[in-house]
Amino acid sequence: MPQIPLIIITYRDVFQWVANQRRVEHLPSVRISESDLNELGIADGDRVKFSNAAGSIVVQAKLDQDCRRGFGYMPISPYSNRLVSYDGSRARLPNFKRIEVLAQAYCDETG
Amino acid sequence: MRSRYSVGLSNAVCTGCSCLCDDIEIELEGNSIARIKNACIKGASFFYAADAWQWRAPYLIGKREVTGEQAIERAAELLKQSRHPLIFGFDNSTIEAQASAIELARILGAVIDDCSSFCQGELVLHILNGTLPTCPLSEVKDTDLIIYWGANPYHSHPRHLSKFSYYAHERYQEAGWIPKVTLVSIEVRETETTLLSRPSLKILPGEDGKLIGSILSTIRGQEEGEEAKTIVDLMKNAQFCVIFVGLGLTYALDGDFSLFAEMIRELGKWTRIGVIPMVGHFNMRGFNHLLFQKTGYINKVSFADGTSYGPGFSLLEQLRNHLPDCLLIAGTDPFSSLPGHLIDNLKDVTIISLDPFITSTTKASAVVFGTAVSGLEAGGRAVRMDGTEVPMLPVREGRLSDEQILKLLLERVSR
Repeated sequence: MPQIPLIIITYRDVFQWVANQRRVEHLPSVRISESDLNELGIADGDRVKFSNAAGSIVVQAKLDQDCRRGFGYMPISPYSNRLVSYDGSRARLPNFKRIEVLAQAYCDETG
Repeated sequence: MRSRYSVGLSNAVCTGCSCLCDDIEIELEGNSIARIKNACIKGASFFYAADAWQWRAPYLIGKREVTGEQAIERAAELLKQSRHPLIFGFDNSTIEAQASAIELARILGAVIDDCSSFCQGELVLHILNGTLPTCPLSEVKDTDLIIYWGANPYHSHPRHLSKFSYYAHERYQEAGWIPKVTLVSIEVRETETTLLSRPSLKILPGEDGKLIGSILSTIRGQEEGEEAKTIVDLMKNAQFCVIFVGLGLTYALDGDFSLFAEMIRELGKWTRIGVIPMVGHFNMRGFNHLLFQKTGYINKVSFADGTSYGPGFSLLEQLRNHLPDCLLIAGTDPFSSLPGHLIDNLKDVTIISLDPFITSTTKASAVVFGTAVSGLEAGGRAVRMDGTEVPMLPVREGRLSDEQILKLLLERVSR
């Protein structure tokens, strides 16, 4: 399966805030460009796995025609935080809003 | 405090974010919320959640439900036994509770820090030191240029545009496009705010610092790109500009606002500028102001040996270096909001938490205090994102507030 580098940009989403207040479970998702979807060999709504040195997560990929190639937009959440790293000797702040990952299509082997 | 069974509308201050909207009306039936007027989706869902008692935190020692008295006793014991206590959070607590938290840290010789150490703290410090100009939100009506930089208030502060800035502007005209006040956004992606802005400047993620450098070069007479020229021209033609700084800019600059401050100084030669941080937690600025007033520092303070300050006293550095053995947390959920590898470092720490709700952090705590929701069940004072102090009165009875619990803890650890 092809792997491609993506930069995940996180943001605050009011609907996610409301879902959290109502304790509604929601599948984390990322919005990416059509060309990145094609390169990953997945369709709108399929799952994608993001990995980096901090960890890995599986999220739903959604097509966003306005998204730049090479980037992914994702509401900030405990899921995106699994990919965030912090090393006070290299940066003042954790990279909460700009996370470099390797992306690949996710196939659930348990079926 | 009003009667437990009061019916009718009560005025409240919303503590869903640091807009601290003070025109909220809450209608109670018995002690339950029947209706909320004027609140945004964020504020309303926050207050309604307070009525879902199954999500409210009780008093716990381990997994066992206890009385408040027993929880106080155990928490005081743990704090007194601790060799390296850390007090963290209080950005969602009143100024009165923050004052008690600072006093508790002093008595225990603890480190004290809040979320501002890894978000808007440096920006607030520039404002408090006078190295960045600011203004109250009440003066935004006098501006002719409003800039949102790395912020999308539609999601972070949903009433910001309508209550304080663009739509509330005296010269905003709904009918037709008569641009007497110019709304600008600087963003990395398309948002509701960028769609409304003219112009909307789209930059590459992380390149905010480069844009600031280009603006400074343009001011000095060098041609440095279209976006920089647009900003400089807008500033030259404006009388008064307010820049709302969001987390997008803060993280892109890695919390270092020195170049930004230099740019504001230069642009300020043409026009009056006010910088206002788009603070998230309702009273983060209150914590910064109070600690600054008491110690000269806004966060990252240790009382272990007199009063000292340093990056090493941030929650992140403390956890990275496995230093705290006991952590008192209020109104924040580090298990959900910290980088994953630092959460792993929390697992060996004894946690005492104060929170109105059950969270991932309360679930991992040795002692839990289910507290009152500020603004709804507890009164006090808070500092809005622009530095204005806002008084709050409770609209119904509730559990003990952070302030009351901290006072009891203070009394107990001082014995």
